[in-house]
Amino acid sequence: MTTVDLNVSPMGRVEGDLDVRVTIDDGVVSKAWTSAAMFRGFEIILRGKDPQAGLIVTPRICGICGGSHLFKAAYALDVAWQTELPRNATLIRNIAQACETLQSIPRCFYALFAIDLTNKRYAGSPLYAEAVRRFTPFTGTSYGPGVALSAGPIEVYALFGGQWPHSSFMVPGGVICAPTLADVTRATAILEHWKSQWLEQRWLGCSVNRWLANRSWADILAWLDESASHRDSDCGFFLRYCLDIGLDRYGAGPGNYLATGTYFDPDLYRQPTVDGRNDALIGRGGIYAGGAHFPFDQARVREDVTHSYYQGTSAYHPFDGETVPVDPERAQADGKYSWAKSPRYDVPGLGPIPLEAGPLARRVAAAAPGAAPHQDDDPLFADILATIGSSVMVRLLARMHEAARYYRWVRGWLDQIDLHEPFHLAPTERADGRGFGATEAARGSLADWIVLERGRIANYQVITPTAWNIGPRDGDGTPGPIESALVGTPVTDPSDPVELGHVARSFDSCLVCTVHAYNGRTGRELSSFVLNETV
Amino acid sequence: MTAEPAAGAPPGHGPAADAPTGLAALLDPPGIAPPSWTATVIGCGNLLRGDDGVGPVLIRHLAAVGVPADVRLVDGGTAGLDTAFAMRGARRVLIVDAARTGAAPGTIHRVPADQLVAADPPSAGTPPVGTPSLATLPQPHAVRWDQALVFARWLLGADFPTDIVVYLIEAGCLDPGADLTPAVRRSMERVQTMILNDLATSVDLTAGDHDA
Repeated sequence: MTTVDLNVSPMGRVEGDLDVRVTIDDGVVSKAWTSAAMFRGFEIILRGKDPQAGLIVTPRICGICGGSHLFKAAYALDVAWQTELPRNATLIRNIAQACETLQSIPRCFYALFAIDLTNKRYAGSPLYAEAVRRFTPFTGTSYGPGVALSAGPIEVYALFGGQWPHSSFMVPGGVICAPTLADVTRATAILEHWKSQWLEQRWLGCSVNRWLANRSWADILAWLDESASHRDSDCGFFLRYCLDIGLDRYGAGPGNYLATGTYFDPDLYRQPTVDGRNDALIGRGGIYAGGAHFPFDQARVREDVTHSYYQGTSAYHPFDGETVPVDPERAQADGKYSWAKSPRYDVPGLGPIPLEAGPLARRVAAAAPGAAPHQDDDPLFADILATIGSSVMVRLLARMHEAARYYRWVRGWLDQIDLHEPFHLAPTERADGRGFGATEAARGSLADWIVLERGRIANYQVITPTAWNIGPRDGDGTPGPIESALVGTPVTDPSDPVELGHVARSFDSCLVCTVHAYNGRTGRELSSFVLNETV
Repeated sequence: MTAEPAAGAPPGHGPAADAPTGLAALLDPPGIAPPSWTATVIGCGNLLRGDDGVGPVLIRHLAAVGVPADVRLVDGGTAGLDTAFAMRGARRVLIVDAARTGAAPGTIHRVPADQLVAADPPSAGTPPVGTPSLATLPQPHAVRWDQALVFARWLLGADFPTDIVVYLIEAGCLDPGADLTPAVRRSMERVQTMILNDLATSVDLTAGDHDA
């Protein structure tokens, strides 16, 4: 048996580089370690600051999820200050959050994921030449329009938020904006244009309604057979290519999922509270673990630092969380290997376990029984998981599927804005309190916990989707979700382990990586891995 | 607590001088004019990392003192790709970013962008690359304005602004949560004056050597 250690770095870049190290046995990954290479200092920055500092600081954590950070930071303060939200504020926040995700969907696909589909590893596929024609960076026939049109939803965001990604227009009690009828009309025109030009014409090859009629894997296979425009759309081609080159056969991940959910019914979350949150959600939250659904309960979240560059081996709830960094070089002697903490969820009957966050987790939550009339109720991915199981392909398909659903929601929310009603109600600033705010960023669950004492921030903890997915092993030695998703991955050519890229990128944990790709660097970095000593 | 500075006036509705030709033209819905600005000022950098935030801080100062209505202010933050989209429709582009070149903190580098972006458009199968001179100007954060420029030239095609100037301010301290250091703050005020003069007088920005 041959054992080879590979260092593949960098693969992604949220909150700094992500180093991935895998051990390959007989051509298959047997162990994996993900290591966040940069300290996140913002919890320390926020301590002692004005309660609203999180609205400024947290959108700067990330160059691609700024709107999502703002959204949950505003709700954390709404809960802590017990504000009242006018309907328009909820609608605009929903629109902004969904538009950030809608831009991320094609960008993630063309600028990050699909580039690897042109790797020479697949030159033997009968579909390879077509993959190269479509997905080659800059010159691919789908790459250019896909990347360019991704900015459409951002223009909608900017009409309400002033700019993207670093806006702070969501504040406790609502949103600071005064849209005109012309703004709403323009936003609708931009969204419709994006839908027709990219989503329907290029991605689906059919109407949004036709795609959303698919409720099972068998439906999707029938959809592929239904017409040439379905088969030859980017979605149809992606599915056929994945099935041909085997992207439906690895990268499954832990099989347990977390979604905090996002988007609120404007009438059901006028007084945001922790207890009222789940029932007010449109995009449902939920835990799926050990084959059963559970409601999401923020009280069951822990952050384990056993293998993280923070003091001790504790696993605290974020309200009690600590961020006490230690010297990484010394900490490595104690088995610590990442700046990311390990978020865990205490599942009833199973204890604290790692959960995958992201679009697939949301689609699993959307398939749970018991949806209220205002809530997402979509059986498609429960059927897909039961029929063919999770994989790189399924994780990608879940992300792309959301484009059609979110387009429909945003269109509905735009139509509900009442320009004669308020967008902000002045809140009462409370000196003491606790708040929890959460959302679904494009790449998964994102939440803030804030503790206010004497008019200042006493504690502020953020758990990002990247932390859920790339977190290191916990005190029990259980690997994080990407660590476990990498295990079992076949690596055909250790000098060009493109399969590892597929798995890591299917979690979409970065965009800076995308920018590298634009410069033609990502491929080179993947291939300039360091081959460690043979064990 | 106030919201972020508004990004100048709303996009103009007047016809652009030339019909848009780049890929970005795909973005325009029928009947809606593409954006058009006399100038766009973009501040890049991470507000959470000391002097790295000098670009966004400068944008806030410009918003506070006011700029002409046909000038767009963009807090580019750490979103490099969207910086490229923000250049759309601008006749001239001014970029402010922090830099680490080894010079004394506060040193101002003033760089005409045409010296930094390769002149040839990407050919089939050849991704565009920056010129080797970029390697001498490493940025303290990952998303670099130079990559955004290269990307923008691809994205905007014939609409890529020809008049682009980059101001780089040498960073001193990049500690999380730190304020601007005094040297960088003084240089930021100098650059602010230079930009306001530029915007007021429409001089040819690419002429002369204004390095500190």
